[in-house]
Order: sequence, then C-alpha cells, then structure tokens
Amino acid sequence: MLFNSIDFAIFLPIVFILYWFVANKNYKHQNILLLIASYAFYGFWDWRFLLLIIFSTVLDYFLGLELSKEKKKTKRKALLLTSVFVNLGFLGFFKYYNFFIDNFTAAFSFFGQDIQPNSLDIILPVGISFYTFQTLSYTIDVYKRKLEPTKDFIAFSVFVSFFPQLVAGPIERAKQLLPQFYVKKTFDVVKAKEGLYLIIWGLFKKVVIADSCAIYANEIFSKYESMNSLSLLLGAIYFAFQIYGDFSGYSDIAIGTSKLFGVDLMKNFKYPYFSRDIAEFWRRWHISLSTWFRDYLYIPLGGSQGSKWLSVRNVFVIFLVSGFWHGANWTFLVWGALNAIYFLPLLLVNKNRKYLNDIESASLFPSFKDFISMLVTFSFTTLGWIFFRANTITDAFIYIKKLFAFNFKGGLQYLSIERYAPELMLLITGFVVIEWFIKKEDHPFFGKFIGIKIALIFLCIILLGNFSNVNDFIYFQF
Amino acid sequence: MKTFIKHIISIIILLIALLYISDFAYTLIYKKSNPRSKLQYILSVEHQEYDIVFLGSSRVANHIDTKVFDSLSNKKTINLGVLGASLNDNLLELKLLVKSNTIKNLVLQIDDSYQYTNSTTMVTAGAVPFIRNEIIKEHLKDNLSNFNQMYYLPFYRYAINGHKIGFRESFFSLVNRKSRVDPKIGYYPKYGNYPEQTASLPDALVKGNVVFNEIVEICKRQDINLVLFVAPYSSKMKNIEYIDKLKERYPNLIDMSRGYKDDLFYNYGHLNHKGAQIFTRDLFKQISKEFN
Repeated sequence: MLFNSIDFAIFLPIVFILYWFVANKNYKHQNILLLIASYAFYGFWDWRFLLLIIFSTVLDYFLGLELSKEKKKTKRKALLLTSVFVNLGFLGFFKYYNFFIDNFTAAFSFFGQDIQPNSLDIILPVGISFYTFQTLSYTIDVYKRKLEPTKDFIAFSVFVSFFPQLVAGPIERAKQLLPQFYVKKTFDVVKAKEGLYLIIWGLFKKVVIADSCAIYANEIFSKYESMNSLSLLLGAIYFAFQIYGDFSGYSDIAIGTSKLFGVDLMKNFKYPYFSRDIAEFWRRWHISLSTWFRDYLYIPLGGSQGSKWLSVRNVFVIFLVSGFWHGANWTFLVWGALNAIYFLPLLLVNKNRKYLNDIESASLFPSFKDFISMLVTFSFTTLGWIFFRANTITDAFIYIKKLFAFNFKGGLQYLSIERYAPELMLLITGFVVIEWFIKKEDHPFFGKFIGIKIALIFLCIILLGNFSNVNDFIYFQF
Repeated sequence: MKTFIKHIISIIILLIALLYISDFAYTLIYKKSNPRSKLQYILSVEHQEYDIVFLGSSRVANHIDTKVFDSLSNKKTINLGVLGASLNDNLLELKLLVKSNTIKNLVLQIDDSYQYTNSTTMVTAGAVPFIRNEIIKEHLKDNLSNFNQMYYLPFYRYAINGHKIGFRESFFSLVNRKSRVDPKIGYYPKYGNYPEQTASLPDALVKGNVVFNEIVEICKRQDINLVLFVAPYSSKMKNIEYIDKLKERYPNLIDMSRGYKDDLFYNYGHLNHKGAQIFTRDLFKQISKEFN
C-alpha cells in the first residue's frame, strides 16, 4: 500500500478512528489495533512475507529475554550471533543471493571455468532492510545492556512492524520507540496537526517534486547515449531532486502519520542539499541509517579513536556497507566508495566536524562562502547519484564521460516525453527557495497565513503533481 | 479531538473546493482556447465539407503531406492521423467529425492496428475535457474502465491525464501558444534516418474487429466512400506477410507496405520527410481513381 494511493487514503482514517474512538481504553488495546493495522498494511502488498516479519519478531523477542537472563559471556555472544545470522541471513538470501551467484559465475568463467549454478527467481520482501536493522538494533542494545528487554510481546511486535515506518524507515532504535508503546497515548491536537502538516508537505515532495523529476530523469538516463552534456547535467540534477523528494517525502509522511497516533519518530532528513561539505551532508541525509551505521558498525570498529589508517579503513567500511545495503549491484558499491573518497580529505585534515553549527541559524541569505560550499557539495553528491541511478557501472562511466565532453550541440534537447529538459528547473528552483526559507522548521505551515499556505500547496499538488502513473517510493526496493 | 476534527473537515472542504475550481478553470481554458490537438480541432469545426479525410496513427500524421495532396487533387483534404492512435481512437474522431460536417471520402490506414479494439490515451486524454459532450461521453463510457471517476470526481480526468492535458498543456492553451503540429494541416514530418531499429508485425490475423466494422457502418450510413490503405514499412519490419493476410480479407485494400528504400525512412514504420513527399504523390496516383 503506497502512501500516495487511494487505498492508503481510505486505510488511514479508518485506523485513526478505530484507534482514538474504539481502542482508546488502554495502551494494550491501542497496541493490538496498531499491530493488526500494520500487518494488514504489509499484507496488502504480499501476505506471505508477513511470516518473515512474525518470525523475526518472535526470534528477537525471545532472544532478548534470554540475553537478559544469561550471565555467561560466551552464551550471550552465541545468542546475539543467532539474531545477527538469522536476520542478516534472511536479508542476504532475499537481497543478495542472485548477486553473489552471478558474480561467482562471472569470476569462474574469467578463469576459464564454466559453472552453471541455479539463480533463483526471488522477490525482495518490501522493507526487509529496514525492519531487519531495526530488530538488530534491539538485540545488540540488549546484549550491550544498554536496554532492558521488553516482556510485552505485543508492544515489541508493534515496534518491529509499526506501519508508518515499516517499509522504508526511519530505522528506529528500540530505546526511543519501544517505550512509547508502554503507555496509553492521549490525543494531542498540536501533535496531530503537526502530523497532518508533515503528511501534506511529504505528499507535495513526492507527487510534485519527485514524480515530476522522475519523468525527466528516467527519460534522460534511459537515452543518455543520445543526449548532449546539458541534458545529461539536467538529468543528474533531476535525479538528485527525485531521490530527495521521494525519500524525504516518504519520511515526512511516515513521521506525520505516526504523530497522528501519538508516536514520535526520529527525523530522517535535515535539508541535506544545504550541506557545506560531504560530512555535513551525511549528518543530514537518511539520518536514521547513517547513525545506525555509526553506532553499530563504525564505533565498534574503533571509529576515529585509533590511528589514521584505522579511521580511514573504518570510513571505507561504513560507506561500502552502506552502499551495499542499498542494493545488490556494483553501482551501489561504487557510490559508497565514491562517498568515502569524498569524505577522506576531510578526515585526514580533521575537518569532518567543521560544520556542526547548523545552517538553520544562517541569516536570510547564505554567505558567499557558504553558498559556494553548498554548490560544490551538491555537485559532488549529484555526481555520486549518477552511479546510484545507472543500471551498470559502464553506463555510469559513459554518462559521466559524455557529461564532461561539454558537447552542447543541439542546445536544449526535446525529449520524447514531449518536454524540453530545462522546463522543470523553474519548479526545482522554487522548491529550493521555499526549503531555504523554512529550514528552521520541518514544513512550511507555521506562523501566519497557514490556511493560505495549505491552499497553495494543495493547488501545487493538484495542478503540478504527477498522477498519470503512480510511482513507487524509490526506497521501497531497498 | 473536536478541534482537530474541525481542522480536518476544513482542510478537506478546502481541498474539494480547489478541485472543483481547478476543474472548472481547466475545462474553460480548453473550451475557449484555440485548438492545439486534432481532436480539439474536430470539435471546433462545423458545417465543413471535406473531400478527403485521412485517419490513422502517426503512419498517417507523418506520411501524408496534405499540402501536396491538395495541390495534386484540387480537393479539400485534412490529415487527422494522431501519434499512437488506435482504430478505436479513429472511430471517436470520425463520430465527432460526421456530427456536424460532411465527408465525401475517408482514407483509413490499417495495418497491425486491425488487431486491437481498445482506445489509447493519445486521443482519449484530449477528449476528456469535453466529457460532457454526448458523443464523447457515450464513446468513453464504453471504453474507459475509470469513466465514472472521470465523469464525477472533480479534476480526476485532468490529474490522471496530466502528461497530455495537465498544467503544461493548459498553460499553453491559455496563452494560445501554437502547437508543434498545426491541427488544420495535420502533417507532421519526421527528419533523419535511424535504420537500426527493428520491429515485427503479428503472426496471425484476428478473426475480426468490431471497431473497424463500426467505422465501415458509419461510412455506409453517412454515404462516405471508404478507402483502406497500408503505409510503407522499411526492410527492418519483420513478418510483413501479415499485410498479405489483411489484403486477402479486404481485397480493395491499397497495399503500399513495400517498395520504398530504407534511406527514405526515419525508422522501420515511419518515412522521413523526403520519403513522405514521395509517398504522398504515389498514394495520390494509387487512390485518385477511387474518390467520389
């Protein structure tokens, strides 16, 4: 069930009414309702994979209890490893099996050995990468005794499958989310309004920005061989805004929906394209995943505490793993490696924490230096997105080669979607300006004239939104 | 909770009001502006007498240069071929055209389009602003699964067809910007030569086509002389024998599918401008004796 679908527009009010008017006696009733709604939400896509979520839930619930009882270090480690191997095993099988088989086959044939292993027709369960990491964080925290295991199975089940964030995050920590399911939620009109505004803003980002950019980006990336440098540049910029509008829009809707049920989720995006260097970008982009890798991979590996060489190794490890987390394709690995390379100079000169002061505090306009830094960071990020979007590494390299050929022959190219590529730039420019002026807030609906602002955004959604072919959220595939 | 419910209700009312206003504004724009599509053009003409009307897909739009044809035939000709149009779309064009105009000869392009009876958004999207026109309403009712949503939900018809009649097209209509294809002329040439693309015609011919039969019926009723023809294909089109099967079924079909050199083609199924000029003259020679 997509957030931008009629199904969800019917589903959400029903669950909302039942939650606040029928199941509002105590938190247990509220949790049971949320659990049923979450399973229905997931089952709407494919009920068979519900079993996978239920299995992970049961496993980690009991492992958590055992971990708290067990005193012996070796046994505790064995329990943790069981959770890690089973959860990552599912993820590995569904997401990476064919990738490894294909690459092993290619490697063997490179050395003159022809093998014919069976690749499987595997459907990737939606959201598996997200809920796997969420449950893993629970067992790891319990193992490290940072968290008391829950004895409330229903609350834990809701924590694993809470529908607003089940399929594409934010990847929550048990410490932050689980306690919210131990108390009865009372209706908070301010929080609910905030949720509603986030949903409207998220929908705008998705159907107006992301889906409009998608039409252009898809056309340019699919026909990049016949495009001139100007079109390729625009194609890359459009994809940068497509993925941002898509994923941050999804996150806004998820956080907003969650607020309607009195539950707070963590912020996932903080205007990342206003970052002044790549380190700041990664503190603002997909925050729930970046901090997950920081807490459960980077710091356990030693973080930046050891030698420079160790720090460099750790940076490469997290960026490569992060790349691979996104998908079973070499393009994602190269994208990860490229970001590590971008990060490296900052790390080596100890400037990776230079921009901890928020750009939000900047005055009406950014300083020239900040503006140039933002532009440079955006350019590097966009270059990285070409690998993220391309079907193969070869495609990405050819795209970049043609981009830097500075061939402007043909000027503004007419696309077979009956558009000229630069038209959309006006819309994107407007969006960037709005984002700049609302950067201290999560959405534009604050201060005076909220009604007019809502009307204008609705008008944009109605008139500029892309409803011709409803697009899946990009991050559903991960 | 009461405050929130009131808030939600006011937001929903605002949304519905905006949907109605937008729907009204778009419909007004399309009704009042100069025609930018062939369907809009058909709706705008009345009491015209056409000697020859060409109907079909891009294989008509890109192939028949009406200026050349006019000069050769001395007859009033119009090219109503639409990129990607199906026979069903052509049927709608014909229904609208005969409502208040007179046609002497209808030259209909058929090829693998004979295999299909469905409509396409290439024409239906342009028709939905006029969904309350009785002919369009009846035609779309039979052909669109989401007709009721289009008819009753405000702005749905524009939202769902945004790529054809969305903000961009409405804006251009509002400012009366000229279309790339002048609908009064209807010929839209292709330039260049991309011979590497290949395609294939179907293996077998369908038993019949109800949409085609309806076109034939209308022509009989309206006393229109119906001429069928097949436009050229390059050597890259496979299964060309399909056209022979079509010719067997309709012996009067003017088959011009073969005999044109590949350098006259834009791609396997479309002549370039140079090819279209030659083809228009050839077609005139072939079919001039068929005209009323």
